[in-house]
Formats: sequence, structure tokens, C-alpha cells
Amino acid sequence: MQYLLNGLPLGAIYALVALSYSLIYTASGVLNWSQGDMVMLGAYLGFTFMSLAGLGFGPSFVLSMLLVAAVGVAVQRLILRPLKERGAPPINVVIATLGVAITTRNVALLVWGPNAQLLQSPVSSNPIGIGMLRITPQDLLILAMALLLMFALQYMLRRTKEGRALRAVAQDRYAAVLMGVDTNRSDAVAFAVSASLGAAAGILVAPIFFVTFNMGAGIGLKGFVAAVIGGLGYIPGAIGGGFFLGLLESAAGGQISSGYRDVITYAILIILLWLKPSGLFLRRRQQKL
Amino acid sequence: MKSEKKHLIYLAAGLLAAASLPFVITNVYYLHVINLAGIYCLVTVGLNLLSGYTGQVSMGHAGFFAIGTYVSALSALDLGVPWLPGTILAVLSASLCGFVIAVPAMKLAGSYLVLATVGFGEIVRLVLVNWTPVTKGAAGLVGIPLPNIFGIRITSEGEFFYLILVMLILGAGIARRLADSKIGRTFIAIREDELASRAMGVPVDRYKTAAFMISAAFAGAAGSIYGAFSGVTSPDNFTFDDSVAFLCMSVVGGSRTVGGAVVGTVALVSLTELLRAFQAYRLIVYGLILIITVIYMPQGLAGLMFKKHTREESEADS
Repeated sequence: MQYLLNGLPLGAIYALVALSYSLIYTASGVLNWSQGDMVMLGAYLGFTFMSLAGLGFGPSFVLSMLLVAAVGVAVQRLILRPLKERGAPPINVVIATLGVAITTRNVALLVWGPNAQLLQSPVSSNPIGIGMLRITPQDLLILAMALLLMFALQYMLRRTKEGRALRAVAQDRYAAVLMGVDTNRSDAVAFAVSASLGAAAGILVAPIFFVTFNMGAGIGLKGFVAAVIGGLGYIPGAIGGGFFLGLLESAAGGQISSGYRDVITYAILIILLWLKPSGLFLRRRQQKL
Repeated sequence: MKSEKKHLIYLAAGLLAAASLPFVITNVYYLHVINLAGIYCLVTVGLNLLSGYTGQVSMGHAGFFAIGTYVSALSALDLGVPWLPGTILAVLSASLCGFVIAVPAMKLAGSYLVLATVGFGEIVRLVLVNWTPVTKGAAGLVGIPLPNIFGIRITSEGEFFYLILVMLILGAGIARRLADSKIGRTFIAIREDELASRAMGVPVDRYKTAAFMISAAFAGAAGSIYGAFSGVTSPDNFTFDDSVAFLCMSVVGGSRTVGGAVVGTVALVSLTELLRAFQAYRLIVYGLILIITVIYMPQGLAGLMFKKHTREESEADS
């Protein structure tokens, strides 16, 4: 039981990152390998606002989400739009986003230096006990904020004009264009929202993990794994996949072996892909022919 | 016919130039970098057969490379197997792993396939780190013996250069023959339209598995020479970033030609060396160049060099 509880906050973080992958994938068909580095940027910006500028947790959270969203839009405008206009093969798009990841990572190294930073949490990290179980207020904060963001995302997708445009484009890009949806705008919105989700995950995880310039690689990969487990491009699947992965890692690390934890994760991932190529929660694979 | 003759002359001139390199470059460090580039070329040539020709993008080739290195090095260290049989063992084990990963990969495409290969690469690395009794864990292997081929001992950088050159020529030759054969054309057919190939009676699954095994075999052979060349090795040499680097070399050079693999590898390795002067800005510039290349040279550097070939391919694409 305790393992399950420990896995929940980790799962929430993975779920946020998985959402950011899924959203971009479904709305613009791009597999964005720089998502993990948006997490890193969010964590560093949050650290800068809180520790160096002395802002509170709330304003820092919002500010870094906004700034990273701007970075996301810049990436879409400057790199992915030209690629799309030239009809580049998917492998080139993958390499381009990897290029973004390498660049972002090393700009961060230049700005913030090679030393790991630790973000001061706004709440205490002393565990509180509920019966036999213990959970830290920081973990509760992660869970609460993640759930809040997921609801906000749902609201945005269902009720706002931009969100509806996103869903229309995701369903049928061509038809959406005919209906007068500005796909350039919707792509930018997808990148902005995704990047800010990543940034949020970064600030939330910063008090428990160290903030380093290459933290994005690990978290980004795990988030992508979660997104695929849930079914890439399927929003509820990304959330489910995130929690599934968090719980799996926590259980595998606690029960079997911490060294082989990631081996187990990846092995289960490959077996899952083999048996159910469309993800755990999606019934059929939507194959574009 | 005439252009083919011309091609042969260019090829011979290129080979002659390559063979005379150790006489021109006396700096041992540069020769070392050139040798490394040659080893990477071998991996990338194999990767191009899989990712470029067959369209099965792999981001786990460092895994096959690692298996080649460790199998050859361990059989030399623990069992005293000479280098050449060790290389054969390395090639066989790598392609066996290629077969294993091909089983789930057959059903996957696009991002899902990429993730499965990423998972494979990570599993290999993590097993190398954690299986301490055999692999010596994160500390890695030391004292991998130098190759001794029928009494010829390879010791200096210059001697390694020729061994690597011979392997690369053999590898590229095999890859070219494959690519121009029925197998290569079938690979391309699968890349362009898997469903149509299947409908035409092509045993798609068998060809995909073959592509994985062949590609892994190249990486295994490269790994075998890599271990003997470095003398030491550790799991840190085979990370996700290394798999990404192989893919970048493949795409920057042009993943749909054999020559592109060589061009891309040489270009990116030289770029890394040239950028050393920039120090802290090195990888920033590297990332930006990567982005600019894939936007403005969608067919890679080889696309610019072999224009005629590209036009045919872009017509096939559209």
C-alpha cells in the first residue's frame, strides 16, 4: 500500500508530461522530443523567480508557465512550421525537436551552471501519517495541482473556442481547415499549452528532485513512455498511463530491485506495445492509411 | 553506363585518398578521431538500411553497438577467443537481438516503433550496469586485447585505420549490393507503402525482421572493433544520447543512401571537433546546425551531392 501511495505523486508528474506529449501529437501530429526540456526550463525558471527574485510560489508558478509557453510557441513558429511547409519526412521532424532539446539543455547549462539546485517547497516535507500510511504535504501539493491542471485542461478543450479548434483539428485537420479553423493558430496553441504543462510538472517536481540542466532527458522519456502506454494522442489515456507508470515504478523499485526498476519498466512497455499496440486504454488503433 | 564508369573512377580516387590519409595526417589525435568516425560510419550504414531504406526508425542502435562491444570483449577477456571469431560472435549476437526486437517491432509503426527501440536500447544499457558479475557494472571492462588476425597484430592508430577501412569498405559494399538487389527494392517498397506491398504478396514481416537483423549485424561488427580499439569500455558509451547521435548522423547525411551514412557521420564528427573551440557554446551551435540542416536539406548532405538521385526519390515521394 505504501508503495502505491509513493507512486501517486510521481504518477501525477508523469501524467502531466504525458499530457503535454499527447496534446501536441494529437493536435499537430508532431512527436516533440523537447518536451522534457520544457520541464527543465519550468523548474529552473521557478527556481529563479522564487530563490533569486523572491517571489511567492503562486506567482512563480504562473510566470514560469507563461514564459515556457512562449518558448513552446517560438519552437513551433521558428522550427516546426517551416518543416511542415516544406513537407519534411517525420524523421526530420524528430531530429529537429531533438536539436531543440540539445540547444535548450545547453543554454540552460550556460545560464544556470552545472550545479544541481533545489527548489524550496512552499509546504513542509515532513510526512504526515494516516493510519499506517505516510505522505508528505509536498506530495499532496503535487497531486492537488496536477489534478487542478488536468481539470483546467479539460475545461479549456471542451468549453473555449481555442480548445474546440484544437479538438477539431485533431479529429480531421483537412475538414477543420475547410470549416475556417486557423491551423497555424491551433498548432501554436497546442505547443503553448503543452509547454506550460511541462513547466508546471517541472516546478512541482523541483522540490523532490534536484534541478539540473539535463533533468529533462529522464523525465521527458518517462513522460513519453506514459503517453504511449495510455495511447498516444488520447488525453484520458495519458493521465491513466502516467499514474500507471508511477505506480509500476514505485512497486518495481520497492519490491524487486531498484537497479532493475527501469529494466522492468521498459520490458513491460515493449511487451505492452507488442500485445496492445494502441495503448492500454484505447480499444482500436487509429491507423491513417 | 558512362556515369557508372565515372562513378567507379570517383570511388577509386576516393579510396586511394582515404588509404593515404595516415601518411598525410601525422597527428595521432586526429587519426584517433578519424578511426572513431570510421567505426560510427559502420553503425550508420547499417542504420540507413533499417531507417532509411525500410523506414523503420530506430533510436536504440547504441544497444546493438553495445552488444557487439561486450560480446567480443568478454569472449576475449574471459574465454580467450581471438578477435576475428569474437567479431563473428558479436555479429551473431547482435543480429539475434535484432531478431528479438523485430518480433514486437513488426506490429509497430511511427512513434510506437521509436519508443520500442528506445526501450530496447535502455534495457541493454541498464542490464550492462546492473549485471555486475559478468559485465563489471558501471565500472566497465578494462584491458580488452588488441586484435590479432592470423598473426598480424594491430597495435597503432595507423594499423587500426586500415583495419577499420577494410571493414567499412566491406560493410558499405555489402550494403550497396543489398540496396541495389531485390531485397533493397523490397525494403523501399515497404517504406513507401506497407499495405500495398503486402497486397502484392511481399512477405513484409520477414523482410522487416531481416532489416532489423542486418542492421544490428553492422552495429555488432562496429562494436567488436570499437572495444578492441578503445581497450576499455563502459555502459556510459552506449546511452540514449548515443543512439540519437547515430540517427542524427544518418539523417544529416541522408538516410536513404549508403553514401549518406558516411557523409553524415564524417560531417557530424568533424563538426563536433571543429566546435571544440567554442567550448561552452559547442552543443548549442551543434543543436542549431542540426535544426537548420533538417529544415533546409530535407534529403541530407548526400541529397545535395547526388542531385540526380534525389530528384528521382522526391518524385517517388510526391
